[in-house]
Amino acid sequence: MSKVNLILLLAVIASSLMLVSTAYDTRRLFAAIHKAELESLRLAGEHQRLEAERQAQATNLRVDRTARERLAMRTATPAVTMYVVDPMARAASAAAGAAASGIAR
Amino acid sequence: MKLRSRSTTKGVNYATSPLLAAPTPSWRSRFVVAMVGLGFAGLLGRAAYVQIIDAEFFRKQGEKRYAHTLEVPSNRGRILDRNGALLASSVPVPSVWAIPKDFSAPPEQLRALLRLLRMDAGEFEARLASGSANFAWIRRQLDPELWAQVKALGIKGLYETREYIRRYPEGESAAHVVGFTNIEDQGQEGIELGFQKQLQGRDGSRGVVKDRLGHVVEDIGQAVEPSDGRDIQLSIDAKVQFFAYQRVREAVLEHRAKAGSVVVLDVQTGEILALANYPSFNPAERSRLTGAQLRNRALTDIFEPGSTMKPFVVALGLETGKTRLDEVVNTAPGSMVVSGIAIKDAHPHASLTLPEVIQKSSNIGTVRISMRMQPRELWELYSNVGYGQKPQISFPGAVTGRLRPYKTWRPIEQATMAYGYGLSASLLQMARAYTVFARDGEVVAVSMLRQDQPAPGLRVFSPETAREVRKMLQMAAGPGGTAPLAQAMGYSVGGKTGTAHKQEGRGYASNKYRAWFVGMAPIDKPRIVVAVMVDEPGKGVYFGGAVAAPVFSQVVQQTLRTLNVPPDLEVRAQVVTHALPAEPESF
Repeated sequence: MSKVNLILLLAVIASSLMLVSTAYDTRRLFAAIHKAELESLRLAGEHQRLEAERQAQATNLRVDRTARERLAMRTATPAVTMYVVDPMARAASAAAGAAASGIAR
Repeated sequence: MKLRSRSTTKGVNYATSPLLAAPTPSWRSRFVVAMVGLGFAGLLGRAAYVQIIDAEFFRKQGEKRYAHTLEVPSNRGRILDRNGALLASSVPVPSVWAIPKDFSAPPEQLRALLRLLRMDAGEFEARLASGSANFAWIRRQLDPELWAQVKALGIKGLYETREYIRRYPEGESAAHVVGFTNIEDQGQEGIELGFQKQLQGRDGSRGVVKDRLGHVVEDIGQAVEPSDGRDIQLSIDAKVQFFAYQRVREAVLEHRAKAGSVVVLDVQTGEILALANYPSFNPAERSRLTGAQLRNRALTDIFEPGSTMKPFVVALGLETGKTRLDEVVNTAPGSMVVSGIAIKDAHPHASLTLPEVIQKSSNIGTVRISMRMQPRELWELYSNVGYGQKPQISFPGAVTGRLRPYKTWRPIEQATMAYGYGLSASLLQMARAYTVFARDGEVVAVSMLRQDQPAPGLRVFSPETAREVRKMLQMAAGPGGTAPLAQAMGYSVGGKTGTAHKQEGRGYASNKYRAWFVGMAPIDKPRIVVAVMVDEPGKGVYFGGAVAAPVFSQVVQQTLRTLNVPPDLEVRAQVVTHALPAEPESF
């Protein structure tokens, strides 16, 4: 009888020690998660900031000015534009036309 | 021996040993027992009080010491153009605050801090005294790098919190459309105000347990998830918007005008591709803002539409059979009298064909046609195309304009309204009204938000009538018309000029003008309607055909190119499509 008691006592002690250490671990991990969450929030903010920054660097005003002043470009007009027909679209429309005329026949 | 025997007979009394006899009175032990008992009873009572009777108070006090509520900030929605380019977005930045009662800094640290924050000592003291003993804003929305330097000083009692600041990458070109928010992230103008509800998020919160070092160690209670604001995608095309803004700005500066506006509408969907005004403002620097800069003139300024009304009257005449295409309208001798008031043509003509009435912008020709109609018919036409109706665009400040009920019209008013006086509208309303010609007789509802489907229109004229009027508008913008400068390279255009003395008080100012042009392109199958207005051109040139039409031309050309619309007019190409053989070099 006393042997069983002793074993149970040891089991209780071991389990309570385990409980303490698990609780500690939980809190430690939780703190780590929280820290990571804060970091992710910070990075998301940073991402937004950089996105806005990128947009600010690529505004139409800046692009226009750079193109004109640094690259000596000018506004395109239809006179200096060559218009080409998309061969794929033309083939598709031709095929459709052929099919339509085939049905008509 | 005798003694011994006596003692044996009497025996020894063990029960009452003189050694055991207590030297203290027995009530004292009972007293102690009672006291200890009482002590326990007191403790029990206290325990019952703490645990049962006033449990709530103690639980709260306990929670106060370990539980904290963390704010989980939400993000205000972004504003995007039709292609997804950012027009406004929120960026987190540090804001510096202090606990005034804890704040202490040695003089050299304080000097460094003031230098970084660019404040003088007096201002800093005032800031410190501005809040409570536990909280005072020192500087809100600081540059992150600057905060890093401030933090490095390690001053006691100085903290940061993250706040969102709004960034507007397109700056002044889209300022009137996008608007801005105040420091509390509340929309104040434009889309920021009009869509405040959709844009703003809801902050979340969560209860946590913090340990002695301030680490979060456990979640408690219910967390409220933050919900971010919705992104708003506008119909605006940032490129077209920028270009329109640049052009109107140049025109205003060139003609030393007071202001100018441009509206570009997509005919198929009714989307507003651009809505630009000059003068404008930079949303990031609003400290010296004036009302003139803030005004979204294209929506808030109303003026009499003038000659741009004439095509509607002619179209109604054609539609109802009150006139025919081949009619020759008698416009001699360049003036006529209605109810005792003279109506004149600026450039008299003896007679004009119907298309020429529009091409030459004849007041008399238009009035003659309009007088054949009932006031009710005209009123219905005007209100069907949007005059006197509030534009349904969920944009703050869009005005209704003025169109009086037809029952109160006198004949002279019916006559003057035919050429655009006696009613008023904003530039946006005029642009929208012209979609009736551009869409083969249907007027379309305008939208500030991106639409993916072509919008249904309200039929006002038959497609034939609309096409005929488009031809007249093309003539007006061609040689012999009032606005040949509206011609765009590669694209056929049509439109109508307007020029008017500005209204001042109850009359018209003799030397102040307003010039505008409303038109569409390409004329056979219009894709866009563009309206341009220049307010008070100050260099002697003030006709719509000279001031507003060139802006129209450039905006049309660029917009159609941006929209990938192939040119419908032959253009002498200036591109070399074949490589020229080079002469072999000699050396």
